[in-house]
Amino acid sequence: MNQDEFGYRIRQALDEGLDRLDYRTTYRLEQARQVALARQPAAQAERGWAPALQTAGGPPVEREPAGWARRLGLAAPLLALVIGFVGINQYQESEESRRISELANMDFAVLLDDVPLETYADKGFGALLQGESDEL
Amino acid sequence: MATRDELSEFLASVERRAFKQAQFAVRDSDAALDIVQDAMIKLSENYSDRPAAEFPLLFTRILQNVIHDHFRRQKVRSTWVTLFSALTPAGDDDTDPLETLEALAGSDGAESAGDKVERAQVVAIIEEEVGRLPARQREAFLMRYWEDMDVAETAAAMGCSEGSVKTHCSRATHALAKALRARGITL
Repeated sequence: MNQDEFGYRIRQALDEGLDRLDYRTTYRLEQARQVALARQPAAQAERGWAPALQTAGGPPVEREPAGWARRLGLAAPLLALVIGFVGINQYQESEESRRISELANMDFAVLLDDVPLETYADKGFGALLQGESDEL
Repeated sequence: MATRDELSEFLASVERRAFKQAQFAVRDSDAALDIVQDAMIKLSENYSDRPAAEFPLLFTRILQNVIHDHFRRQKVRSTWVTLFSALTPAGDDDTDPLETLEALAGSDGAESAGDKVERAQVVAIIEEEVGRLPARQREAFLMRYWEDMDVAETAAAMGCSEGSVKTHCSRATHALAKALRARGITL
């Protein structure tokens, strides 16, 4: 009998021994398998490798499953960001134009007033105006 | 990359053989079960992103490493408990000869009860003698003939040359044949 044939006979005997394992052993092996499967990284268990968002100091954040939900998850924050920028810009523009028109009105009032411009540079006139406004 | 089902299927297909291999090596059922569980967890945690086709070789390597780690830990532990070893009763054998007979109960009647008992005894003796082989010879022999790995794969898993694998296998075969013959078993 050559080596391969001998090995094959031994293999048959060992396989037979596997079928005779007692219940306790097979049960514990099954438990061990379940424990091992539970320790499989979640991303790989579901769909193999998938990119994850890394947070500062925190664990990687798994993305949503592929499909419309994932696309929506990415698009919604971007849309909110754009809307935010537009809103801020419009608010700033309206605030600025209000201040410009206020200043312009003031300039017009000063220029159209009968009081000469030099008067406004006089400290006494400023104090007089202040006193009048306090009285009002 | 492998799915959970593929990994589960693979583990289920190798767990019994892995247990026996660990048991041959450490000669302790509970330790062997722990070793198999450790090996399964390591494969699951660290290598489950690999293709399922790579699992057999990876698992064999992991199992061998875990067995070696077990011996390393045991060696360290034994240096601390040497003083107490004399207190443990010698010759404690957990195996119950009746278990073999219980396993046979209820199986089909194609073989006579006497043949089945005899066959079970032969299998038990073969397992015992495989367990007695030197570690490296046993690893090489089991990988080649039980796990169907070729010489190159066995060499890769054992971290040795292909020539060494052939030598280990040849020596294991001769030693096993001689031991079985001495116990009156011819294959």
